[in-house]
Amino acid sequence: MIDAAARLRRPPWLRIYLGITLLLFLAAATFGLVFSPRDVTQGDLIRIMYAHVSVAWIAFVAVGLTAVFGALYLWRGNRRDDVLAVASGEMGLFFASLTIIGGMTYSRPTLNTFWTWDAKLTLTAIMVALMVGYFIVRGLIDDPVRRGRVSAVVAIVAAASLPFNYLAAEWFRTLHPAKSVALDGSGVTMDSTMLAVLLFNTVVAGLIYLGFMIDRARLGHVEAALEEERSLAATRQTPVGKEVVRV
Amino acid sequence: MNDLHAVLWIARKDLLQESRSKAVTVATVFFSAVTLGVLAFAFGENPLLMREGAMGALWVALAFAGVISAAQSWQADLEDGALEALLAWPVPRAAVYLGKLLANWGLMTALGFVLLPLAGGLYGADIGGGAAPGGDGETAPALVVTVLLGVIAAGTLGFALIAVFYAGLTANLRARESLLPVLMFPVVVPILLAAVRASNALVGSGDLDLAWAWLRLLVGFDLVYAVVCLVLFRFVVEA
Repeated sequence: MIDAAARLRRPPWLRIYLGITLLLFLAAATFGLVFSPRDVTQGDLIRIMYAHVSVAWIAFVAVGLTAVFGALYLWRGNRRDDVLAVASGEMGLFFASLTIIGGMTYSRPTLNTFWTWDAKLTLTAIMVALMVGYFIVRGLIDDPVRRGRVSAVVAIVAAASLPFNYLAAEWFRTLHPAKSVALDGSGVTMDSTMLAVLLFNTVVAGLIYLGFMIDRARLGHVEAALEEERSLAATRQTPVGKEVVRV
Repeated sequence: MNDLHAVLWIARKDLLQESRSKAVTVATVFFSAVTLGVLAFAFGENPLLMREGAMGALWVALAFAGVISAAQSWQADLEDGALEALLAWPVPRAAVYLGKLLANWGLMTALGFVLLPLAGGLYGADIGGGAAPGGDGETAPALVVTVLLGVIAAGTLGFALIAVFYAGLTANLRARESLLPVLMFPVVVPILLAAVRASNALVGSGDLDLAWAWLRLLVGFDLVYAVVCLVLFRFVVEA
C-alpha cells in the first residue's frame, strides 16, 4: 500500500518555493505596471506586453519540454519521464491558452482587433489544438505503456511544428509586430529598462511554470503508483490455472 | 528481399486491394466533388470571389478526402488480423508506413489531378490562363500548369505523410473517426497554407516566383515531417 495521504501533502521546500515565487510575481507585476517607462507609440498599453510576451515564451518552452520528456520516455521507457511530460504538457496548454487570451487583450487596443489570421496567432492556436489532442489521446488509452509511447509521439510531432511557428514571423508577411529581440545577437531595439523588466517577468513566468510542473509531477507519481497497484491487485484476484482446467 | 522491395510490395498490396474494392475511390471522388459543390454555395453568386476561392476549395476537398483515404487504408487491414500479420513481417515498421504512404499519395495525387480541372470549371478559374492579362504576359500556360501539378504532388505528399501516420496511430483506438481529424488537421495547417498560397499565385496571376517560394517551403515541410514520421513510426503501431 502507498501512504497516499502522506504523499499528497505538499513538501515544505515546495511550499517555500511557491511562496517566494508568488512574492517575485508581485514584484514583476509592480515593475511592469509602475516602474516601466511608457512606450513612445503604445503608451501604457506596453505594460500588457510584459505579461503577454513572457507567458508566450514559457508556453513554447513548456510544449518543447513535453516533447523532450516524451522522447526520453521513448528512449528509456522510465515511467517518471511520462509523468514529467504530462505535467509539462498541462502547463504548456495553460500557458498557451493564456498567451491567446493575453494576446487578444493586447491586440484589441493596439491593432484594433481581437483576432487576425496572422501566422503567429494562428500557429499559437494550433499549438493549443495540438496539446488538446495530446490529452484526448491520453484519455483514450488504458494501457500505461502504450499511452506513454503514443502520447510521446503526439508531443514530438506537435513540437516539430514549433520552429515553423517561430520562423512564421519571417516567412509570412503579417500584421504582427516585428520581434524586438533578435536571438542571433544582431541587436535589441528596446529601452534597457523595458528589456530588464521583460526579462525579469520571463524568469518569474519560468519559475511559476517550474513550481506548478513539479507539483503536478508529484501528483502524477502518486497517480502512477496507484494505477500500478490497482492493476497488480486485479491480476492477483484472477484465479490462476482456470484455463488449464477448462482444457 | 530488401526493405525497398517490402515498401513497394505493401504499396502494391494496398493499390491492388483498392483496385478490387474501389472503396476509397468511390468515397473520395464523390465526397470531394460534393464538397466543391457545397463550398460553391458558400461563395454565393460573386464570380470574382468564386475565382479567388477556387484553389482554397480544391485543397479543402482534397484534405477531407485524404482523411477518408488514410483511415480506410488501415481500416481494411484491421479485419481478420491482417494488420498483425503485416506487422509480424520481418521488415522495419517504417517500411510498412512507407508502403501505405506511397499508395495513399498515389491515390491523393490522382484525385488532385482530377479535381483541378473540376474546380477550375465549377468556379470559373482559368487554370493555365492566369499568365495572360493579369500577369507579366511572359509565362507560358503549359509551364504554369506543370508547376501547379507539382504543387499538388508536394501538397498531397505532406498531407499523406501526416494522415497515414496518425491513421496508424488511431487505427485501434476508440472514437478513431472523430479523433483522426482532431489530431492531424492542426499539424497539416502549414502544408495546406503553403499549398493554397502556391496554387493561388499560379492560378491568380501566373506569378512563378511567388509560387516557387511557397513550393520550396512546402517541400521543406514535407522533408521535416517525413523525417519525424519515419523515425517515430515504430512507436506508433501496437507491438
